[in-house]
Amino acid sequence: MFKKSFTMVALILLLCIGFTASSEGAAYPSRPLEIVAPANPGGGWDAMARTINRALEIEKLYPQPVSVLNKPGGGGAVGMAYIHTKKGDDYELVVYSPPLIINTITKTYPHHYNTLTPLAKLITDYQVFIVKADSPYKTFGDLMAAVKKNPGAVKFAGGSNPGSMDHLAFCKVAKLAGVNPKDLTYVAFSGGGEALTTLLGGNVAFVSSGTGEVLSHIEAGTVRALAITSAERRSGVLKDVPTLKEVGINTTYEVWRGVFGPPGMSKEAQAFWAKTIKTMIGTKTWKESMAKLQWVTAYADANGFAKFLKEEEKTYLELMTDLGFAK
Amino acid sequence: MDFLGQFWNNVALGFSVAGTPFNLLLCFVGVFLGTLIGVLPGIGPMTGVALLIPLTFSLQPSAAIILMAGIYYGAMYGGSTTSILVNTPGESSSVVTCLDGYQMAKKGRAGPALAAAAIGSFVAGTFATLMLMLFGPWVAGIALNFGPPEFFSLMVAGLTVVTSLAGRSLVKALFATLFGLAIATMGIDNQSAVPRFTFGNPELLDGLEFLVVAIGLFALCEVFVNLADMKEAVQERLSIKGSLWLTKEDWKRFVPSCIRGTLSGFFVGGIAGAGAAVASFVSYGLEKKASKYRDELGSGAIEGVTGPESANNAAAGGALIHLLCLGIPGSGTTAIMLGALLMIGLQPGPLLFTQQPAFVWGLIASMYIGNVMLLVLNLPLVGMWVKLLDVPLYLLLMFITMFSFLGVYTMNNSVQDLYLMVGFGVIGYLMKRLDIPASPVILGIVLGKLMEEKMRQSLVISDGSVMIFLNRPISLFLLFLAVVAITNPYWKPIGRAIRRLFRGAPAR
Repeated sequence: MFKKSFTMVALILLLCIGFTASSEGAAYPSRPLEIVAPANPGGGWDAMARTINRALEIEKLYPQPVSVLNKPGGGGAVGMAYIHTKKGDDYELVVYSPPLIINTITKTYPHHYNTLTPLAKLITDYQVFIVKADSPYKTFGDLMAAVKKNPGAVKFAGGSNPGSMDHLAFCKVAKLAGVNPKDLTYVAFSGGGEALTTLLGGNVAFVSSGTGEVLSHIEAGTVRALAITSAERRSGVLKDVPTLKEVGINTTYEVWRGVFGPPGMSKEAQAFWAKTIKTMIGTKTWKESMAKLQWVTAYADANGFAKFLKEEEKTYLELMTDLGFAK
Repeated sequence: MDFLGQFWNNVALGFSVAGTPFNLLLCFVGVFLGTLIGVLPGIGPMTGVALLIPLTFSLQPSAAIILMAGIYYGAMYGGSTTSILVNTPGESSSVVTCLDGYQMAKKGRAGPALAAAAIGSFVAGTFATLMLMLFGPWVAGIALNFGPPEFFSLMVAGLTVVTSLAGRSLVKALFATLFGLAIATMGIDNQSAVPRFTFGNPELLDGLEFLVVAIGLFALCEVFVNLADMKEAVQERLSIKGSLWLTKEDWKRFVPSCIRGTLSGFFVGGIAGAGAAVASFVSYGLEKKASKYRDELGSGAIEGVTGPESANNAAAGGALIHLLCLGIPGSGTTAIMLGALLMIGLQPGPLLFTQQPAFVWGLIASMYIGNVMLLVLNLPLVGMWVKLLDVPLYLLLMFITMFSFLGVYTMNNSVQDLYLMVGFGVIGYLMKRLDIPASPVILGIVLGKLMEEKMRQSLVISDGSVMIFLNRPISLFLLFLAVVAITNPYWKPIGRAIRRLFRGAPAR
């Protein structure tokens, strides 16, 4: 009996070795792909990972199974630690957005962002600054006038910690308007929904938020969007929202999302993804998803993405040093 | 009249959407899977809904939400099963159910406990659906009055529940609560973005997962205790004594606690938006104060099962009001549902009722149907579940261990969580030997994080003035409730003393 089971185990082991050996020999890609979403299901990173997953599968761009793995925790820190255990593994992808850079600067992440292999910048979203429908601030000018008069009294809320996107987006604006961002009062909530409830309950003056969470409320007229951080006007529900430039502040704030490979991804795999991602963003499935999620494709290839990240790092470092968040 | 006609049209529209054979099937699959997910410890509705997201891509929005909602409230039903049978909470809102449910099982009354949980869930779930249908947008409007100060005061009131979890020694219960509150401070601080007690470990940046602690303190602890007492325990089986069904006496006690649980659960979960776990704790505290049989609580009273189980279902239904009418998720699971709906291309929010009537009313109708399905599904299952108790203990312990590991791992796909769970199992064992109750730890964790967060948010809003908690009527009322709850054991003696004082001579 014992002997028999021993033979079985040996056989299985042999089979495993055989499989790995054969897959090493074949051309990339010859194994299933895992896309890491460094957050829980339901958020932007997860939606990004699943949108890629869906496009790859429906458009048959990846010959093997694709799956999404959620590695939530620490605003992406756990995902960062995880992807670093996969050094040189060509069958792992991970999606990130500005917190990658922000948390590199605050040293919340265990590694520097530039250890990852940038593959492509995919989409961009923007921040909006919203007030409740019955707010005395009718325009962004009204709001800024009040902020300039007494920065601490015009309290604003966002769905993330101080020093993260919701907070920094407005700090960037305030700084250009001549207000010391340190004088602002920011109330941090866990999640855009909570921040929105607080705004609707009349507890804060305005909210800095990604567009997605508040679209339905802008459409319903329960909140008013005073400005959007894009360079040009958006379409649809947001078509009447002025850009920062229109209200006299010459800046933009991009909430980009991009896809990375683990540290030390092979040249062969990088070449495959350069080609595949470019094909993917032209497909019908991808375009449909973009329309549904109201995202804007903002493609940049690996080189362009790497250069973009460097510029982002510079901007954030400056802003966060002012605020005392840089370490 | 016109309004009423419109209303009936909507209801008819809803049932015509939910009543198609395909959607009925999805509803059944949803509640069935939900029950299973709820029964398996650790694998909560969040994981369940997340696993189904890829599937929902190819479904109509109404079909997708019917499936997800089925899982959501199905899990609320199933969660109680393992709490009652083997002291292992199936998900976060059934931790309290362990207290009296498991004691009932030990007395051979697992049958009535399971039946009471199922019927209580049905009543509460139906009530919450009714409220969503009749007053959804109105309730959502009230919910907006719950800003950070009100939330903080609600948490303070919730913390008074600890006196009802105390068991023999209030000091030990307070010690356990403080332990829980201390654990709740771990992770990145919300207001300053500074990591606290994380020891440079990225997996601790979000603090400790509440279910990791709960499963360690309850399920693994039970395994360890049984292992230590193995010699005597091998013979022990929790075999059933008496009927599987509620007796006349049970019914008499069931009805008031079910009503209390439903109403308090709907208030805490649906109006305040504080989630099903908080709702279940609050309901348990309420039973301890209001029930005629409050002295039996903790030693296997049916109120301790009915109240929290009704409350968590009412809260779960209430959270859907926030999701549908405001587009604001009130819990982890509804957050995932929101994400899934966005991916389908649907934007929950104030316009949903007018823009997508077929979707909303289809969902509401499916919730009625789903609740009936769950009742029909769960009552016969009671007979099957209690047979589980006839499994020899050593096998049962193995299953508990296996599912605990499986469940905790799938929550965050993290191995570290497993070590933490075992660690808390050991702590739980020591606490049990020292006769320190475990449930206050959970209470501390559930309330602690929110309480601190909301207090600091309030103080930022008020520029540091604590008057914000007293200036606002709802907040003041909740604090008043807290004071009443703490002082009420002393009223009688104080009243007596005063009366004596006025009579002049002390009566000896």
